[in-house]
Amino acid sequence: MESSSNNSLPTQFPVSHKSFSLNIKGNKTDIVICKYDDCFMVMATQIGCMGTILHARKEESVSTDPTFHVAVIFGKRDEPFLVACARQLIEHISSYGSTRPLVLSLGLKDHSPGSMKEIIYAVIENRLW
Amino acid sequence: MASKELEGNLSELQIGENGERKPVEDDVSEGEVKVSCFTEDFQDVTLHFQIVNFSKQIYAWIGCNSAKLGHLYAAATTRPNNNVSVTSLLGGTSDNTGSSIARRIVLKTGLNVVIACNIPKDSPMLEATAERKLVERLASLGYFRPKEKHSN
Repeated sequence: MESSSNNSLPTQFPVSHKSFSLNIKGNKTDIVICKYDDCFMVMATQIGCMGTILHARKEESVSTDPTFHVAVIFGKRDEPFLVACARQLIEHISSYGSTRPLVLSLGLKDHSPGSMKEIIYAVIENRLW
Repeated sequence: MASKELEGNLSELQIGENGERKPVEDDVSEGEVKVSCFTEDFQDVTLHFQIVNFSKQIYAWIGCNSAKLGHLYAAATTRPNNNVSVTSLLGGTSDNTGSSIARRIVLKTGLNVVIACNIPKDSPMLEATAERKLVERLASLGYFRPKEKHSN
């Protein structure tokens, strides 16, 4: 897995990011993770474009159990595993104490649960939260 | 070039071990996806740019004095006649800041683009400057369509 980040630049760019590639079930997958002031952006692609874009956020709640809202804002709306992937990641972000929403783009050839899990693991391993 | 811009550009250069100058922005040289980050000063405003080059699409973020994502727009050529269509994905639909930039980038590159922009409303000069800087960088990355040759 090749990775790079801009954390060591002398004049610090305000948005930190990580970019890396990995092989998922024979498909080369490029992942870019960016940390903005008000959200996280994760882009995973196997097809050379962003693909489906989802927005996930933690909802304000008086109860102790957090609730999350996940919506497809561009692209495939009939792939439940894409929504599940966003849901997993926003819950992970929330468990690390951040309330920032997530913008997730998935341009994948394979929408199987196995591929989703590998993408989630890779993103969590290289997380910026 | 104004002296301020020159000083800014010189300060952004880094002297490597062999005395070679390296740009401060981080360019990922391997793989299909490349991330370019750079900053420009315009009068009393700092514009940050981040470009992610996919093979069939461009994602660009323009930050104005902050690192907030801002409004997200998608633009592409659509049938018939390859007219350019723009839609707002995140943020208010009545705000045009960023959407016109997205439209013109598609016209110039022919690629689908997704633009995130937090330039404030009613700042046409700032928007024009940001677009110009972004276009310059995309041109240097080789994203413009070749001009069609007119036969006599």
